[in-house]
Amino acid sequence: MEWLTKIDEHFVFVLPFLQKTFSLVCHQEKNKLLFFDGAETLACARCTGIYLGLLISSVLVLFKLSKKKFHINILLIASVPMIVDVLLTSLNIYTYSKLIAFSTGLLLGSIGFFYLYAGLNNLILELKR
Amino acid sequence: MKKYLAALICGFGAGVLQIVPLVKSFSCCMILPLAASISLLLDQRATRNFGKIPMKKALLFGLFTGLFAALFGSVFELLITFITKNNDVIASFTDLQRIVQNLPLSEEIKKEVLNIFQSVREDILKNGFSILYTFSVILNNFIVNSIFGSVGGLVGAQIINSRLSNQSNGK
Repeated sequence: MEWLTKIDEHFVFVLPFLQKTFSLVCHQEKNKLLFFDGAETLACARCTGIYLGLLISSVLVLFKLSKKKFHINILLIASVPMIVDVLLTSLNIYTYSKLIAFSTGLLLGSIGFFYLYAGLNNLILELKR
Repeated sequence: MKKYLAALICGFGAGVLQIVPLVKSFSCCMILPLAASISLLLDQRATRNFGKIPMKKALLFGLFTGLFAALFGSVFELLITFITKNNDVIASFTDLQRIVQNLPLSEEIKKEVLNIFQSVREDILKNGFSILYTFSVILNNFIVNSIFGSVGGLVGAQIINSRLSNQSNGK
């Protein structure tokens, strides 16, 4: 948020609105947020990882650095670390780690984007027909 | 309407999961995409059509799941706020004050922002209702949920369709 207010101070008026927006898609638990330069993220470490993964993959696709078509099992495999981490931390088998949460989210987000991309491609093809 | 019954059911579920206190703490960005994907599976079972899902249909199902989630979510959230005269805006007000105070802004802007949110907070505490809060809830829910629902519909259909392709390739 701080970088937005550096562009224009008035962006501070959208801060509560943005917080509310992200609260719909993330629990925003205080101890699970990431901190950058003293400012906290609006989504938890895992969700930040997912969004960042989506962003990285979309940039790769945009600049045609990657046009991979993944088999469905890859998505399932990519989601396993996240599911295992959620289960094990929920059952208190080990303590929540922001790094693990972020990494597992990043993995799922970056692979997941290729399914969204394929879906969008198929949708465009269908509409063209 | 009957056509989108699966979207209605899943949208209701997702709306509840996003809003109801305690359950809300399990909220995650995967809830709506999952709800949209489940609505496609439910529709397949209801119509007994297990063929490939057209992407247009998947997008519509995802969109409707998101819209129904937004509708139920907004109604529940505003109703809970009205009855309890309390919500996350009130709970997070001190945090918001702290964040705004720590931002490198002019005192005038800081005062203006905090005044707006103080008035929203007072309205909710007094009447259980605030126009600005209601507007923000409705706008937020409808925009975010329809985007996440549509994404979920497309990804879900892609997954279901590739599973079908795998099955037909295996035969």
